Amino acid sequence: MSIGIGTAAVMLLIYFSLNHTFNVGTSVSILIFNFLFVFLLFPLEGSPFRKVYLLIAGNIVGFLWHLIKSSLRATSALFLGAETFKIIIVVFEPIIDLVWVVSLWSLSLSTLASGKKRNEGDEKKN
Amino acid sequence: MDLIFLFLVTFMSAFLARHYIFTLTALYRQNGQPHHTSHDTTYRPTVSVLIPARNEEKVIGRILRRMTELTYPKEKLEVIVIDDASTDQTSGIAEEFAKENEHIKVVHRSLEDGGKGKPAALNHGLKYAIGEIVCCFDADYYPQEDILEKLIACFKDPKVGAVQGRVTVLNEPDTLVTRLVALERTGGYRVDQFARDSLGLIPQFGGTVGGFRRSLIESLGGWDVNMLAEDTDLTFKVYLAGYKVRYVNDAQCYEEAVENWRSYWRQRSRWAKGHMQCAFRYLWPHVKSRNLRLREKVDGFLLLNVYFVPILVGLAWTLGAALFLIHSSPWIEIFWVAIPISVYSSVGNFAPFFEVGIGAYLDGRERVCWLIPLLFLTFMFNMLICTKALIDLGVSKVTRKKRHPWAKTLHNGRGNCYICNNKVKEDVK
Repeated sequence: MSIGIGTAAVMLLIYFSLNHTFNVGTSVSILIFNFLFVFLLFPLEGSPFRKVYLLIAGNIVGFLWHLIKSSLRATSALFLGAETFKIIIVVFEPIIDLVWVVSLWSLSLSTLASGKKRNEGDEKKN
Repeated sequence: MDLIFLFLVTFMSAFLARHYIFTLTALYRQNGQPHHTSHDTTYRPTVSVLIPARNEEKVIGRILRRMTELTYPKEKLEVIVIDDASTDQTSGIAEEFAKENEHIKVVHRSLEDGGKGKPAALNHGLKYAIGEIVCCFDADYYPQEDILEKLIACFKDPKVGAVQGRVTVLNEPDTLVTRLVALERTGGYRVDQFARDSLGLIPQFGGTVGGFRRSLIESLGGWDVNMLAEDTDLTFKVYLAGYKVRYVNDAQCYEEAVENWRSYWRQRSRWAKGHMQCAFRYLWPHVKSRNLRLREKVDGFLLLNVYFVPILVGLAWTLGAALFLIHSSPWIEIFWVAIPISVYSSVGNFAPFFEVGIGAYLDGRERVCWLIPLLFLTFMFNMLICTKALIDLGVSKVTRKKRHPWAKTLHNGRGNCYICNNKVKEDVK
């Protein structure tokens, strides 16, 4: 788990240093993803390298998700009007952020579970 | 308004923290439950199995056949089918089994007395039960052969008043609804109930796949016919009487889950109303009971309020959005995130997505994790169900209506195709 905590800390530092303009909600979503990944997925069976890879991949997807969301916000505000779009964002943003967190976390869990099943199958053959 | 929002978010965060602790418990105690052993053959009390059945002709044969295959000593076992004024072939099928098997008997309820819900049917069956332990199974269930040994072993402890086994979905591959219900069961039983038992909290008797000491349930007055969640009602009665409920994860039974959203709505409406009835009845007695430890009081308090969570989430969402638009501040943004995490919850025990996921992992399931993001659908549905349930209860309180109609879940027997040579097929497992 120390590898996980270290990797998450590095990812968060890179994230925060690269992007100064993201909002508090997005920051908390990233923190939640890393927290749930490190403390619930790292204790599971599986190669540490695979877990680190999945954690880094998840953070990259989160970062891209934020970039796409910010771009969409900037573009849509021009057409819908800043106030209207603010209402939409306020109501749906937490869900939008959680979509990637839940999906990536579940996908990572599925990957680790597949790996575990494959290892058990190999052990039985041997 | 800020304070109300803060209170709501704190309440939801308490549930999230509780489920996170449950998830960690299940993860770090993967080696199972050492507190009992089913191989102890010295303790074999007499057992009465009650099977209430109303118009269950498509499934009653399956469970009765299974009752003939149970490994529990037949001389210490009786199976009582309560034909609750059925208008189909349920009674005929049950009588055929009773003719061929001495330990199976059928009791009938007349059209006047019958059809008033499961609690009334169970009370009727209880009058005929002679076993020291009374177990209940719904007619659509398919238990393991040695389920009784696993359940009964816990009763060796005199403090145990009731035991609950694990429910797994038999017809999981049928529809999206059955798959989501299966996920819900995984989170609710493999993690939630398991953790509550391991931590000495309050595992809940689920109304089926479980048992009671007959002397205890008789002293408690049997099942309350005015409650829609008679199982939750009995759970708290057991604890208030100074006994405990234990959960046995190995004691597994398959059920036929609802297949469409309409049936889902009817079933969960009943659960929501029943659970809320229990919350209003037991909240204060539970808090002031001297038979409960502090941790049981805290867990019981959260358990009783669990069906209010979807309503509170909806309220917090609306309030938070309003506050955000009126005067946005960083702390509102931070707490705003607690809401959607609660949104990814499931019915039953309202397990957040990470609890469901870890449950699936511990069961050795990998592909089912891909469905976890869809739990959002069930939660939004449940937000409506719970809100309506609360309104219905409020209206019935105003109109002084004591009894609520029992919406029976219909079973079509399609789960039979997943049973082959008396075993459940691997692809369902």
